[in-house]
Amino acid sequence: MIQLCSNDDPPVSFTVPRKAVELSKTIKTMLEDLEGFDMEQTPIPLPNVDAPTLELIVKWVEQHQDDPPPVEKPRVEDDDSDDSDADDDQEPEVVIPEWDKKFLPTDDEQKNQLFKLLNAANYLEIKPLLDIGCKYVADKISGQTVEWVRDYLNMENDYTPEEEAKLKEEIAWAEGL
Amino acid sequence: METEVAIQAEIDRLRRALGDFSERIVCGQLTGKLPDNFLEQFSQLPDRPLEQVLRFLPTRQVPQMRRVSRKFNNVIRKGSKTMPKKERNGSVVFKSCNTGELSVELRDYDNKIVKTTLADDRVALSELFRFMRIGGRMYFGEGLSAADKVLDQLSKAWVTIRPETVIFAGDLSQTSRDSLRAFLEKVEPSVKWLHFQYANNIGNSLLSDDVIGAAGRLDGLMVMPMCLGSKLRDINIGDRTLLAMVDSDEVLLHFFVMGCSGITPAGIRAFAM
Repeated sequence: MIQLCSNDDPPVSFTVPRKAVELSKTIKTMLEDLEGFDMEQTPIPLPNVDAPTLELIVKWVEQHQDDPPPVEKPRVEDDDSDDSDADDDQEPEVVIPEWDKKFLPTDDEQKNQLFKLLNAANYLEIKPLLDIGCKYVADKISGQTVEWVRDYLNMENDYTPEEEAKLKEEIAWAEGL
Repeated sequence: METEVAIQAEIDRLRRALGDFSERIVCGQLTGKLPDNFLEQFSQLPDRPLEQVLRFLPTRQVPQMRRVSRKFNNVIRKGSKTMPKKERNGSVVFKSCNTGELSVELRDYDNKIVKTTLADDRVALSELFRFMRIGGRMYFGEGLSAADKVLDQLSKAWVTIRPETVIFAGDLSQTSRDSLRAFLEKVEPSVKWLHFQYANNIGNSLLSDDVIGAAGRLDGLMVMPMCLGSKLRDINIGDRTLLAMVDSDEVLLHFFVMGCSGITPAGIRAFAM
């Protein structure tokens, strides 16, 4: 068993089976690097994750610890020399499993909890959790207006009116896609 | 051997440092005080999840999302090269009626037209192709629509273009061999028909066997320069191009060239066989 500590003061700790915790690539790598130390006795502090979020993470990894590992596809970095021209530039379908649908904090007032969860999944490198969370967010904003998306994602419009007008003109062609 | 020992020593040192470090964190000595807005920042998604969200959105919505904020715009610009692309199979027509301006028309089979004008330095042409995979027909019409700066953008590795037919029908005075060859290499996997149809100002050494050869095996080639009232310029295409097409499997094969002095009666005989 491995102990994980939230960033709260005082920290809240969770005890998780090693197998479950290794769904996080970040922690898995760390445990491998620290081989030889008795990690069962050493709580791992997670400076970017608060207790409610960590609780969700722990729930998710425990539920999914026996899942077959996801197939990794090498990501093409944004570099002109890379030929991403191959026919594989279509995203594979991501389906949110039933259990996860109930698990994700999807009520509107829990929106920020969802974002915190995705932040943590990103930081801890839990790709399948990140995928289903992002898929959920994408379904949510799909077909919505720019203003709606801005509000939903807690983003501020930091364009000047002139810049926005110019941008609007530049992307007008996309209407016809 | 020596380096291996040195590397091993370095690894051991790092491991000790890391172990020491992690224990000190546990004792709470390194936690310190968090910046005030430390938790607030997590109500916004970082770049990687944002990019992932974009990959799941309908393609046509993605460019619109650039208006949300600068941050979102940057994520889209950075990630769009590898994002899922929308298939377009009608034709795409490039025209340059005014100097420094390029207009692009996307025509569907049902003749729906999307038109956009790209001013030189304001919008890069490749911007347009971030979200599209072009198939069908590419037509370089009026003006300097096939100038080097246009072809070079289209030849970028990550731009997906899969035309079956490429037609050059504009002014080729600012088209160089190198750019044309790079472009033809780029479309080589898909292109079957290559036409230089009423193209004008074809440079003396622009077209030759090896440039045309960059397009790979063709089912149709037409070289018909615009030559109203002027002497037809010699075009340096010879038997090699002609005979390369003999290998084509297509029955409906055409080869129509004007002013190509390199083609010999013997070549034509071999082609006709």
